[in-house]
Amino acid sequence: MSPTAAASGELEVLDGIGFPTKRDEAWRYAPHRRLGQLTFGPNADGLVGESVELGQRIPDVGGPRIVVVNGVVSPELSTFDAEGGLHLSTLADAADSGAATVRGHRDGATIVDAYAALNVAYATDGAVIRIDDGAQIEAPIHVVDVAVPGSLTNTSTSAVVIRLGAGSSATIVETRIGIGTSFGGSNVHTSIVLGDDAALEHILIQDLPAQQVHLSRVEITQGERCTMRTRSFNLGGSYGRLAYTVELTGADAIADLSGLFFGAGEQILDQQITVVHSAKDCTSRQSFRGLLDDASSGVFNGGIDVCPGADGTDAEQSNDNLLLSNRAEVNTQPRLEILADEVACKHGATVGQLDDTALYYLRSRGINAEDARRLLINGFADQIVDDVSVDAVRTWITRRLGHDHD
Amino acid sequence: MLHVENLTAAIGDKQILKGLDLDVGAGEVHAIMGPNGSGKSTFAHTLAGRDGYDIGGIVTLDGADLLDMSPEARAAAGIFMGFQYPVEIPGVNNMYFLRTALNSVRRARGETEIGARDFLAVAKEAMQLVEMKQDFLDRAVNAGFSGGEKKRNEILQMAVMQPRLAVLDETDSGLDIDALRIIAGGVNALRGPERSMIVITHYQRLLDYIKPDFVHVLVDGRIVESGDHTLALHLEDHGYADFVNTDLNDAPERPLAGASS
Repeated sequence: MSPTAAASGELEVLDGIGFPTKRDEAWRYAPHRRLGQLTFGPNADGLVGESVELGQRIPDVGGPRIVVVNGVVSPELSTFDAEGGLHLSTLADAADSGAATVRGHRDGATIVDAYAALNVAYATDGAVIRIDDGAQIEAPIHVVDVAVPGSLTNTSTSAVVIRLGAGSSATIVETRIGIGTSFGGSNVHTSIVLGDDAALEHILIQDLPAQQVHLSRVEITQGERCTMRTRSFNLGGSYGRLAYTVELTGADAIADLSGLFFGAGEQILDQQITVVHSAKDCTSRQSFRGLLDDASSGVFNGGIDVCPGADGTDAEQSNDNLLLSNRAEVNTQPRLEILADEVACKHGATVGQLDDTALYYLRSRGINAEDARRLLINGFADQIVDDVSVDAVRTWITRRLGHDHD
Repeated sequence: MLHVENLTAAIGDKQILKGLDLDVGAGEVHAIMGPNGSGKSTFAHTLAGRDGYDIGGIVTLDGADLLDMSPEARAAAGIFMGFQYPVEIPGVNNMYFLRTALNSVRRARGETEIGARDFLAVAKEAMQLVEMKQDFLDRAVNAGFSGGEKKRNEILQMAVMQPRLAVLDETDSGLDIDALRIIAGGVNALRGPERSMIVITHYQRLLDYIKPDFVHVLVDGRIVESGDHTLALHLEDHGYADFVNTDLNDAPERPLAGASS
């Protein structure tokens, strides 16, 4: 049942943690049997990056790019050219040079579950993005993670460390894909710390092959008055799990999280969101949409924790879902824990089907039934897609979802 | 052009249309008036092809059997229905929707599709007709539109689609006088010798602006009286009481100048 670590000697990281089961609320709908077949270990070096064909599998966002293949940065596929105020390096290099940010990341990582522990143990490489105080970085920075299930272990492990200095701003795109048709996947953790008055848009695209599994954690800590926008697109894999934890530690900060999960076949697409308001007068928004076809299923487990003293909190959460087949399902759950005064918290969830009246309306305008259906589906998805500021990402997702809306 | 003969429509056990007869010639504007629940909207939907009715009788457009066609095939054949309650479609851009609609019927008719630039010219002309600004096209279809904006958007679509037969279902409901004037202006501008219209309304007010060639009174699923526009004036004064719950053969005599059946 438990995943096997290739290097069993390092399994002490798992001591006392144990793998999650269906009894853990955050893992209730996960395919535990399949997760049990994932194998973790040190990433094999020497995988040739140039043999990986990225092509149309990732958006071409321009700007610098760091490509991680099976847990190891590929110099051939990466371009580290950075404008002033932006510092890009590999996690391996940063760790060698003992950069304080990286030590801080690894020491401070929250071990919420066994996969977090495995990530800390085995993520020896990945991307480190540091932005100086006050630097406004225009070009989007792209971090691509490619899983190539190998013979030693089938699951790659990497980490992304993002540090924004006070008053700086940037846009970062993370695309997670995989190669091949064999079983396996990736376990990638991202750590983001925003200094006071910083602004970051972080876009995460999960599009692994249908045989693979993706496990992601994004941990965000925000300082005063800073703005964090996350946009997630959970599209690929047999199980795609995107977990976000946002800690609002400085007053007047804004966390705006939105995402789309679009499943077909027997995919399970899981979003686990927690926003912790620990400072006064912060605003958070969670807006997630699910589109589920065939026998796919979606999970939205969204938490808002308002700590004692976090007065003036303004938090909203919504999860709207469209079931496109009578075999599809979604499990949506709000978790609100409010321990402060003068708090405005709202949450709402909807589950529906395509609106027959809207279909008829479109058809009465000459649009055939299939096109009308697609138009409604795309319209539902576009309300999340349109939130993305990077044109190339919008275009890519639009095409990935099977339409060429202009 | 449109021939309707003994049209019946039911939802489950509830019979709504009970043998409706109507002929609409090319270029004619017919008003259909009637009390609530008389079947006016159902008649419009049976022409547009809404699912869910058990339908009997004959409806042909230029000789082709309309009842056999899907809603999209009817649109391609030239039917356009202006909805009483236009549907909000969040996330679908109005301009994109309009162009998709126009190109869908063009494709179905074997015509070439219209490109984005040419379409913009078509849309701009249509927008002037209903006094809309450009930002109207950039918004999602009807989403967050006021009642008046939704109805104007219906007429905008009609102007773009250039139908053979427009069926306007209570296009005047919920409009203030300015919006009514704009919409009626748009409809009048679209009148032409090859375009027919069926204007369904509860009130005579709209017909002050859109002068019909014929007025029909629909009561309990049948057309019980037909005449010229003066019939509408009579209804304004006397209501539908003359036609409701009375044996039609015993209906009181009314002065109906120029009435035709």
